Amino acid sequence: MDSKTIAEKLKEKFPDAIETFKEPASGAHGDPWIEVSPEKIHTILKFLRENENLSFDNLLCISGVDYSDRLEIVYHLHSYHHLHKIVIKTLLKDKQNPQIETVCDLWKGANWLEREVYDLFGISFKNHPDLRRILLPDDWEGYPLRKDYKHQDYWHGIKIGM
Amino acid sequence: MSELKTQELTINMGPQHPSTHGVLRIELLTDGEVCMRAIPHIGYLHRCFEKHAENVDYMGVMPFVDRMDYVASMNNDIAYAMAVEKLLGVEVPKRAEFIRVVMAELNRIASHLLAIGTYGLDVGTFTPFMWAFRDREFILDIFEMASGARLLYNYLWIGGVWMDVTPGIEEKIKEFGDYFGPRIDELDTILSYNQIFINRTKNVGIIPLETAINYGLTGPNLRGSGKKWDLRKNEPYSIYPELEFDVPIGTGEMGAVGDCWDRYMVRVREMRESLKLVKQALKQMPAGPFRAKMQRVRPAPGEAYFKTENPRGELGFYIVSDGSIKPYRVKGKSPCFTSISCLDEICQGAMIADVVAIIGSLDIVLGEVDR
Amino acid sequence: MKKYFLDIYRGMRSILKGMILTLIVAFRPKATIQYPFVKRELPTRTRGRLYCNIDDCIGCKLCAVACPVDCIYITANKRGPEEEIPLTSPESGAKQRKFHLPQFDIDFTLCCWCSLCTVVCPTDCLYMTKEYEFSVANQQDLIWQFGEGQKPGPKQKIEPPHLKSVK
Repeated sequence: MDSKTIAEKLKEKFPDAIETFKEPASGAHGDPWIEVSPEKIHTILKFLRENENLSFDNLLCISGVDYSDRLEIVYHLHSYHHLHKIVIKTLLKDKQNPQIETVCDLWKGANWLEREVYDLFGISFKNHPDLRRILLPDDWEGYPLRKDYKHQDYWHGIKIGM
Repeated sequence: MSELKTQELTINMGPQHPSTHGVLRIELLTDGEVCMRAIPHIGYLHRCFEKHAENVDYMGVMPFVDRMDYVASMNNDIAYAMAVEKLLGVEVPKRAEFIRVVMAELNRIASHLLAIGTYGLDVGTFTPFMWAFRDREFILDIFEMASGARLLYNYLWIGGVWMDVTPGIEEKIKEFGDYFGPRIDELDTILSYNQIFINRTKNVGIIPLETAINYGLTGPNLRGSGKKWDLRKNEPYSIYPELEFDVPIGTGEMGAVGDCWDRYMVRVREMRESLKLVKQALKQMPAGPFRAKMQRVRPAPGEAYFKTENPRGELGFYIVSDGSIKPYRVKGKSPCFTSISCLDEICQGAMIADVVAIIGSLDIVLGEVDR
Repeated sequence: MKKYFLDIYRGMRSILKGMILTLIVAFRPKATIQYPFVKRELPTRTRGRLYCNIDDCIGCKLCAVACPVDCIYITANKRGPEEEIPLTSPESGAKQRKFHLPQFDIDFTLCCWCSLCTVVCPTDCLYMTKEYEFSVANQQDLIWQFGEGQKPGPKQKIEPPHLKSVK
């Protein structure tokens, strides 16, 4: 199944949660994606994973992207059974205290991927079993991959930067 | 007499431990000699790859990509270059594709040699390690001829390769092809089918297929669990569809499917397949330009995810472009990161000494885990 | 019980096989060289220490822009209107050198040997030599100067303190 069919299928099932299906503009290349509302993310991903015709059993990647007015979380999914893939995006308007539901119970691999997003973007995942910083020290301040990030001057007496 | 009081003991393994293949700290919760939990703590080698990538142009990201998985730089470059090419829609000349595949497969052999050699070292044999490094040196010499560097090449560029291969390199690669085949047989004799080694690794650290898929394991770790899945075959990119090769999988020859020996053996068999690929690609290599003609790299706004088969699994790059000369966001999804995340699950109930064997069989490179 | 002795037998057999193989390998030619005394012959494309032939440099700063770690520092001052504009050497295309270049420093503590700077150089005045032994006693010695009127080499040579006391 290609992304468009999957998007239509999702639209049928969740008419209010699916926002848009976007394909790259005519001159550009790249992947199409489906934009969904953040409240329903867990239900939709659960459906994608457990529906027999879709059965996305492989979570490739969870990445965060910081735009000036919003934070985005991008899920890349793939199915070993049906050999199709899909990109699911969700937007978080609240940059101060962004929250979204975890998908750890669907894919165990999501555990560390979500921790990484939390570490670098400060998006907290509700119901995550072990939400700690993963790459940076536990007492680091700020979220480095945000575009407006400014690093602290000293960390435990060590000067940061050149 | 009252019963002896027992309690769980927490052992800190690493960050400076020879068997962790870098700086990895594992918090082991042990009950006697049995490991109850193994919690990996990573981040000691974090070099802000993703933040760096946002601050240099598309071409300048390449040296940083090299430094992710520093034992298989060529394979990293291929993944990043193809992701940007997907965004640009550039067609790479045929000769460049062939050079890329030859280099990537040679690097795969070098990387597997390192994995196998150090795995032997982890479980207590020294000779195969020296032999593996001797043969790896041969490959590094070839890379040095082509790119001038021995470890961090920056040779595969967006749109092709840096320079055409030096004359004389084809003879050198052919010489390597003839030299290396018998060396794998020797390696089999001294390590793979050594009874002591087999007893040490069979039925240790079994990863069932369900768990492997659920955790998102890829590459030899997934194939060791018995899934015939290789991106070069299943979602072919570059010129792989034109070449013939097999995908070895773990069969449970010595113990259960998905144990350490299976994962190890997949790597050994993959080396033979890579050697086949190198020979074929070298024979079919056409003449022509080695780099696509292009202006400064400046993709139209959009995003792309591209994954390739690295020696350690599927390396994916998610690149977001906003139309400027610098990428807006580059995310590298490294295979080692997912491999190490399942360590806790497979180490439960293993002996402490087996934890070392399990880490070695997962073949992680901390440069890629921490990025 | 049977398995126990079978394991011992198999173990001994594998060791014996390995030993015979090791013995054969021991008589093959050596793979190592005695490094500080014997040096390897390096291929033509070796990436060693950068060198700038400042007489050919036109001060375009393309190398400084291409550098992903920003380790090249260039100061270029435009020549006055009545000053004569010299040309670069004929091999490099005889281009006009419109700038004075009082500073052309490369910080080798940062350099990552990616060779991106040498490729963009329009006059090929910046290139990589085959020198690869960089160890110095002081970090400052790794900042090299190539500017006009300067002797190519460490910017300021600082004698390590322990050597001073010996003198």
